[in-house]
Amino acid sequence: MASPLEQFTVKPWVQIDVAGYDISFTNSSAAMLATLAVITIFVTFGMRKTALVPDRWQSGVEMCYEFIAKMLGDTAGPDGRKYFPFIFTLFMFVLAANLIGMVPWLHSFTFTSHIAVTFAMATFVFIGVTLIGFITHGFKFLSFFVPHGAPWYLLILLIPIEIISYLSRPISLSVRLFANMVAGHTMLKVFGGFVVSLGALGGVFAVSAFLPFAFIVALTGLELLVACLQAYVFAMLTCLYLNDALHMH
Amino acid sequence: MPQLDIAFFVPQIFWLIVVFATLYIFMAGSAAPKIAGVLKKRQDAIAGDLVEAEKLQAKAESARVLYEKSQSEARSNVAAMVLSKREELKDIAEKEYLKLSKKLTAKADKAQMRIDEAKNKALSEVREVATEVCSEIVLKIAGLKIEVKDVAKVIDANTNASLKGED
Repeated sequence: MASPLEQFTVKPWVQIDVAGYDISFTNSSAAMLATLAVITIFVTFGMRKTALVPDRWQSGVEMCYEFIAKMLGDTAGPDGRKYFPFIFTLFMFVLAANLIGMVPWLHSFTFTSHIAVTFAMATFVFIGVTLIGFITHGFKFLSFFVPHGAPWYLLILLIPIEIISYLSRPISLSVRLFANMVAGHTMLKVFGGFVVSLGALGGVFAVSAFLPFAFIVALTGLELLVACLQAYVFAMLTCLYLNDALHMH
Repeated sequence: MPQLDIAFFVPQIFWLIVVFATLYIFMAGSAAPKIAGVLKKRQDAIAGDLVEAEKLQAKAESARVLYEKSQSEARSNVAAMVLSKREELKDIAEKEYLKLSKKLTAKADKAQMRIDEAKNKALSEVREVATEVCSEIVLKIAGLKIEVKDVAKVIDANTNASLKGED
């Protein structure tokens, strides 16, 4: 019986080495390309007519757009509008990756369950947002770490806390998505393993395999919800960080 | 945990950058403006329709006001027309009445004249008859022969007196 964590193994399909760096095409890369393809098809075909009265597909694309546009507008205000394409791409990318990861097949792979991927994304967001903060406010952006109205002797304590909490943002952002995806997929695998083991025993055990199977069905529903929710949370927090950089406190 | 295998950090991040950058270029360059364009077009269409509807409503309202105005105008016109027609008819009726009454008066006068004539004629005839009857009576009863001229004189006096008394 394979470990429930085996599903997270990266398998190189094509070995590629460039200037000493390993950039092999793996099942993770394949999942990323699949994500890219799914989003491109979804948006392109949804927008093939750009009708005044949309059909269902076009409505779906427009709903995604308006959902993110509203979220960005509500959190970061009109100044954040120029970062919309990035937030939209980020949301669609994470959402599609999470949902594609839920499709059970032989090479099923969820790259958002890899800390390397989520941390890379979170770090990019963190660095980008920090740069935007310094570009917008110059060195005044450092006053972001000084809480308003606190007495000077508390600042000695509060400024390090603020800095640490700011620096831990990419960690919390990446670990949240990573941990959620890992936990969900591991649970599904564990209960799937129960079904197989009980079935192999035969007789009464085989009948009782119905229970973990029913649990998997319920858990799949929950995981679909988590897939959407985590994509939303990732995009939402990015918007909040962006708002901090644009407007400070 | 396979996620902690550092050997696959670089290839995963490399492919992440490639795929994400491609997707971002697609979204920022083509998809997002296209969707924004459709949404803007729809909003404009709705706003335009609303403006158009407002315009049409104002038009309908002004048409209604015009209709009401013309209706009340027509009503007052009709009233004036009825009034003037009534006056006209009254004038005509009066004229006709006067004409008719003049004619009737003339006729009545003529008739009166004829009656008077007939009456005078009858009266003069009565005088002759009375004169003859009187002379006859006097002759028969008294055996006197009286001149007709004298009898006529007496009768005239009496008749005039009685006529005067009657008047």
